[in-house]
Amino acid sequence: MRVSLKWLKELVDIPVPLEELIDRLDMTGTKVETVHVLGERLDGVLIGQVLTKDKHPHADKLSYCTVDIGADEPLKIVCGATNFKAGDKVPVATVGTILTGGVTIKRAKLRGLESQGMMCSARELGVGGDASGLLILPEDAPVGVPFSEWAGLGDTVLELEITPNRPDCLSMVGVAREAGAVFRTAVRTPEWVLTESGSPVGEAVDVQIEDASLCPRYTARVIRGVTIGPSPDWLAERIVASGARPINNVVDVTNYVMFELGQPLHAFDLATIGTAQGRASIAVRTAKPGERLVTLDGQDRELSAETLVIADPCGPVALAGVMGGAATEVSGRTVDILLEAASFDRVSVSRTSRRLGLISEAALRFERGVDPELARRASDRAAALIAEVAGGRVAPGIVDVYPLPAKPIELTLRVDRMNALLGTTLVEEEVRQILSSLGIDVAGEGSVLTCVVPTFRPDLAREIDLYEEVVRIWGMERVASTLPGGRARVGRLTKEQRVHARIGEALRAAGLNEHIGLAFISLTDLERIGWTFGPGEGPVELLNPMSEEQSHLRTTVLPGLLRAVSHNQRHDVPDVHLYEMGTVFKTAEGRKLPRERGVVGGVLAGSWNRPGWNDPAPALDFFDGKGVLETLFDEIDVTNWKMRAAEHPWLQKGRSADVIVAGDVVGWLGEVAPPVLEAYDVSGAVTVFELDVKPLVKAVATDVRYREVPRFPAVKVDVALVVDDSVTAERVGQAIRSAGGPLLESVRLFDVYRDPEGATVRRVREGAKSLAFSLTYRAADRTLTDDEVRSIHERVVRKVCAAVGAEVRS
Amino acid sequence: MGVAEDLSSLRDEALDSVASANDLTALEAVRVAFLGKRGSLTSVLRGLGALAPQDRPVIGQLANQIREELEKAIATRRDELASQALAARLQAESVDVTLPGRKRSPGKQHLIHQIVDEITAVFVGLGYCVAEGPEVELEYYNFTALNHPPEHPARAATDTFYVRDLSDEASNVPGECDVLLRTHTSPVQVRVMERQAPPIYVLVPGKVYRRDVADPSHLPRFTQIEGLVVDEGITFGDLKGTLEHFVREVFGSTRRVRLRPHFFPFTEPSAEVDVSCGICGGEGCRSCGGEGWLEVLGCGMVDPNVFSYVGIDPERYSGFAFGMGAERIAALKYGVPDLRLLVEGDMRFLRQF
Repeated sequence: MRVSLKWLKELVDIPVPLEELIDRLDMTGTKVETVHVLGERLDGVLIGQVLTKDKHPHADKLSYCTVDIGADEPLKIVCGATNFKAGDKVPVATVGTILTGGVTIKRAKLRGLESQGMMCSARELGVGGDASGLLILPEDAPVGVPFSEWAGLGDTVLELEITPNRPDCLSMVGVAREAGAVFRTAVRTPEWVLTESGSPVGEAVDVQIEDASLCPRYTARVIRGVTIGPSPDWLAERIVASGARPINNVVDVTNYVMFELGQPLHAFDLATIGTAQGRASIAVRTAKPGERLVTLDGQDRELSAETLVIADPCGPVALAGVMGGAATEVSGRTVDILLEAASFDRVSVSRTSRRLGLISEAALRFERGVDPELARRASDRAAALIAEVAGGRVAPGIVDVYPLPAKPIELTLRVDRMNALLGTTLVEEEVRQILSSLGIDVAGEGSVLTCVVPTFRPDLAREIDLYEEVVRIWGMERVASTLPGGRARVGRLTKEQRVHARIGEALRAAGLNEHIGLAFISLTDLERIGWTFGPGEGPVELLNPMSEEQSHLRTTVLPGLLRAVSHNQRHDVPDVHLYEMGTVFKTAEGRKLPRERGVVGGVLAGSWNRPGWNDPAPALDFFDGKGVLETLFDEIDVTNWKMRAAEHPWLQKGRSADVIVAGDVVGWLGEVAPPVLEAYDVSGAVTVFELDVKPLVKAVATDVRYREVPRFPAVKVDVALVVDDSVTAERVGQAIRSAGGPLLESVRLFDVYRDPEGATVRRVREGAKSLAFSLTYRAADRTLTDDEVRSIHERVVRKVCAAVGAEVRS
Repeated sequence: MGVAEDLSSLRDEALDSVASANDLTALEAVRVAFLGKRGSLTSVLRGLGALAPQDRPVIGQLANQIREELEKAIATRRDELASQALAARLQAESVDVTLPGRKRSPGKQHLIHQIVDEITAVFVGLGYCVAEGPEVELEYYNFTALNHPPEHPARAATDTFYVRDLSDEASNVPGECDVLLRTHTSPVQVRVMERQAPPIYVLVPGKVYRRDVADPSHLPRFTQIEGLVVDEGITFGDLKGTLEHFVREVFGSTRRVRLRPHFFPFTEPSAEVDVSCGICGGEGCRSCGGEGWLEVLGCGMVDPNVFSYVGIDPERYSGFAFGMGAERIAALKYGVPDLRLLVEGDMRFLRQF
């Protein structure tokens, strides 16, 4: 909503400077978004007097003038206009002035003679529509004075953010009322005199409303014998200040009254409206199948069955509350006007305006809600103004079909309850004053007030709504700050939330940085990685995605992580260590809401760091990923886990595993399969993992207890065992542990050896590998003797060899 | 030549040898040569018996003196050599301390989640618990129960992502379908009030979705932090005091706070909360658009209509709610100029915070 300060000040006393006005409006809920200062562009335009006017020696249609602008020397100006004579006073744009439309006045030679400025028309100054000649100023206009100052053009326009609950503030009168309440100053309502003559309107117009819920009120007036032309300057100025474009005197009046009172109006050319029984016949109804309308903007529009239209017997003539039709618009030939001031259903207008993509000032107001009580007043006001600026006679009376009269509602306000909710100690008198200043009638004695809410405040429907009015006008800044008291309470995080945080901490300790990706993927992503779904499951589809690349919700964080690696590699960042904790989605047949699962995913590419003088920085691989997960499990106290070789389409076969926690597969780890890397434009080995968070949280040991710190020395014995390639390290380790008994404290695999390809001397037989373990024996209550250890160890080795088909490497 | 003279020249010879021994091995050889079992001084002492009885004490004493002197000289020389050797070793082992160290680089938490955690800690300190809810929501929770009228523009398919509803194929038209990506964390308010009786003190951080093209100031998926309090006797002053405490904790104790009346469908009275600009201190500068204030959150007293959807008696209980965007705080407090940086996974960005 654009508010001209000059106009506002006509309606209400503003006792403070601009800055304070802005601040007070901000602090009472009418945010000032922008402040425009008008008239700046006319800075270089001065009032001048034509001293001499001669014919241009080289051009018939130009004159060569000297013009006094109050400077030492008169200006010499070449001019094309003819409507002036020596002695006339005119606005003169001096060199350097920028006129409306961005034209800069320069010193220029016109047909051989230098022109030192330009004498201007009203149109050139943006103060009226007349471009036929110079704007001739009255004789008493002071020479040398800036034109805008003399004409009172300087104005400030405030652009206000009006919240959707305040349709009343989409008008000058509404904003003035608000300012009056804020500053406790008097508000002046516009006044007019309406003179009616001729035959009564009822003889000329008939109005029918099909559905009162879509059109609670429709009024029509007739003004006969108008002269269509440009608006007077004061009117055009206000239209411009309000952000519209002057069109003609009649249309400008309808816009003016809309800006002033908040009631959108429409003027039809009465002669173009079809008649029935000798009267212009207006029906407010929904469109019929196949009906079309060419709107004011020249578009031929197809109307849907829910479009509310104004129709004559031949068909629609306007989209109710949105836009008029081209065939019935007021034109230069128009003589008689049919003036509509009506009230339409908010939802209906909103739907039509959205469906047709037509955002108009009228539609904006109807969408927010226009007070039906306003129609009659606005119609009178506009009729009087049209008669004033366009001539014509206003036909006596008004056709006013008002099947659903709006009634002011009555609310009770309990001052005690209000103070209890706001934390204030306002007394009844203050409350009464504030509400009255907003146009609310307050009655009742003591602390229970009866408030009659005017129809222009549809947002005030409950007691609580009145509290808000009181606190915002009284001042939210005056409410004392407190903290909730109440019963004792504890703030805490749940176990899930705490483990969630620890997972992040552990992954960061392991060197991974947190990433947050967008949760969208495409079906192409799922194809690229070869993702498969269980029976009845599928990807979650958006009905209105932003793009095909973001058509579904992610089922895995993998595509997002690979895109992040690709982004880094494209920017010459080869070392990427990321994790993401977030939600993934999949549908479940017949379920309304998809299943959401919290996962933690990670990716490693490149090395931990660039090679250094003392650090070779080996390339990261499967075992770095596994190490990250080992760190994670250690840190969050998950002990019951293992990895099992497994195949997944997106992972490289032979370098991928399922992660098993407490017996269940909770995720996967592996190096990304080369075709997938290629699809995501990623190079080098990339290790990824993804785990479900919920089973991890469940597996976290909650009863971690003290274990004795050893007091007696340990004995370490190494053994290298040669086994078939197919025997896993895990199996051999388990065999050692189960054979070891209570004295075997720990087992550590420290070397894996295979003969290199094509070795001439075999150290290990073909198809086998050597696994070297370091075994630590210890007793909790004594120092083990060498003999004791030797005999246990021999037994362990014997049992392991038998169990896994190993032989001791000599 | 007498034995005494022999001893004296033996002494001189031994001391010379000690002095010229250049390492511990040479010194040990000198010790063996003179003081060892077959050393020359040892043989002199062994030969004492062959001397005349009157000479024995004198010679014996002299020999012992020389032995002691020699042992002392060897010990001194040993210390000298040891410290020389240590000095040489230390010299050899010295490094250029300006060479880079072997660094372990733990990862960084994402800036947005640092902000979420920081704010969460403030409210847990005030006695709040953390609540969560689904990201794919029913229209009922996201709009209807939050007092959004059926024609509220936020429900439009231009603003909100709708999701295919597999339980009802017929309604799968954006705008008609009632399954959507939540546009704010507020539906969790409703879910919490449905399952829990007051007193309620919860903080709700979470991901939300709006149909915006990613640009410097918009992301289609971002992070909100919502708070809800419902209890007996909760006032607008409590809301103000709570948010002032929050702003001081997160933005610093010198920052001022103002509540500007505003409109939200699910709170009444409602306000927007501005924090004084940290750069100009409220004077108005380029970073705050000349206003001196930065808008950081929206808030208000829970609307009685919302209470009626969840069956809480608005005459007995009152409450407040507030919500803010973590990305906006990242932009305001850390100067992140383009929100897209937050979702690219660029290591150079993530490592900064």
